[in-house]
Amino acid sequence: MLEVRGLTAGYQGGDVVHDVDFHIRTGEAVMIIGSNGAGKTTLFRAMLGLLTPSSGQVRFEEADILGLPAQRIARLGIGFVPAERRLFPRMTVEENLALGAYPDRPDPETVELVMDLFPRLAERRRQRAGTMSGGEQQMLAVGRALTSQPRLLVLDEPTTGLAPKLAAEAYQALSLLRSRGLTVLVAEQQVPLAMALSDRGYVLENGAIRKEGTSAELANDPDVRRAYLGIA
Amino acid sequence: MIANLLDGIVLGLQFGLLAAGLTLVYGLGGVLNLAYGQMAVVSAMVVLFTMEAGVPTLAAVGLGLLAGGLLGLILDLTVLPPIYRRHGEARVLLSLLVTLGVAFVVDGFFNWRFPLEGLTIRVGGGPIDIIGVPMRRGSLVASAITLVAMAGLLWFFRTTTTGRAVRSVIEDEEGARLVGIDPRRMLRLILILTGVLAGLVAVTRSMVAPVTVRAGFELTVSAMIVTVVGGLGSVTGALLAGILLGIINTIAASYIGTFLSLIILLVAAAVTILIRPSGLLGVAE
Repeated sequence: MLEVRGLTAGYQGGDVVHDVDFHIRTGEAVMIIGSNGAGKTTLFRAMLGLLTPSSGQVRFEEADILGLPAQRIARLGIGFVPAERRLFPRMTVEENLALGAYPDRPDPETVELVMDLFPRLAERRRQRAGTMSGGEQQMLAVGRALTSQPRLLVLDEPTTGLAPKLAAEAYQALSLLRSRGLTVLVAEQQVPLAMALSDRGYVLENGAIRKEGTSAELANDPDVRRAYLGIA
Repeated sequence: MIANLLDGIVLGLQFGLLAAGLTLVYGLGGVLNLAYGQMAVVSAMVVLFTMEAGVPTLAAVGLGLLAGGLLGLILDLTVLPPIYRRHGEARVLLSLLVTLGVAFVVDGFFNWRFPLEGLTIRVGGGPIDIIGVPMRRGSLVASAITLVAMAGLLWFFRTTTTGRAVRSVIEDEEGARLVGIDPRRMLRLILILTGVLAGLVAVTRSMVAPVTVRAGFELTVSAMIVTVVGGLGSVTGALLAGILLGIINTIAASYIGTFLSLIILLVAAAVTILIRPSGLLGVAE
């Protein structure tokens, strides 16, 4: 479904990610794990048109998408939930969700699905997004990405700023979405949660892929255990 | 006192509509359009010249509004692209310089070719009593048109998908891109819309007092003051602040003197910045 090849990108003053290759097959859940500053966010931003890449190739369902602006990529069927969430703070929950479907009017059934997935949002339909708690905002950000009915959902550290209980809840919702056939790509520092969700994973260190494998393989890898699972 | 209040509301409604145009372009693109008053003047002159050529008033007004919108589009296609490639402070400063240049060119042209022209649209009929105050029919028609335009603006931004998309770019440009909204297209749309608004302000104002070829900068300055008080990026704030400042302006002009009313507006804006830096309803940075 998505294939990234030789992606190199960064900001003025130097590339942050170097020659990254990875892929996701339809229906999979894939994680990219790495510590703070490993380049996960830069990788996603370059891949999704928020940052001009230096070189590489990104194919999404047979289309070359690298270099397209983010708004075009969003409409191709990729929903992105950035770590900062990027909600519209002065708009209500409903308005935020409705804009997810832009340029169409939101499909009422999809909105109800989101409300079922996150009952807290249903209780707060008319509340402004900016006045909600971090956990609720995270739910809304995922919900907004879902109302566009994406085929691929990309999440950058969905547990940022969430208490452990809320983080676990967020992953429960993702696992439910998975079971309904949504393809999911997630970047995460909280590796145990991501590992439980994902089929496969990649380890990103200093802007390059160091390891890859199934979640079970990575869970048994001594380096991964030491660095990301806190097991000696 | 009540007469002043009503006159203030008449003026304030126009202030509000004028500021809505300025605040939208700034909120959306970080572009401060100092040629905004001149857009109104161009519209007014198109209405004037077409009326003098024998076109019926209503059709002339239509052409004037069209000219305002077209001017907005021309600005978007010609001077804005290089500004839009810059970001943050550089964009604001460059937009100030470039639109100021456009304003000078427009002002210079009209002062050279038509220095004495002014648009007045006469609305026939005697004054109408409003709560005991005889109000000129022109003021009432102008206010009615402005109110309808404001209601239309609020409806557009609150309920239509495109209107919400424009607001989303003001609130979080990257968030807007992530849901598939092209900020550049929204800015183009809003420049056209604000051009039409500038035209509408010129037309309604000309029903109350002549809109001369020199009115441009005064209109821009009024719009800027109202925008600051209302809060950058907030249409509702601009409308509220417009009415508030319209009343302050009229009362100050009546009790202290017209020569001081602009200063008093400036003071009101300065006080607002001190008390509420983001304005009445501004989007906090």
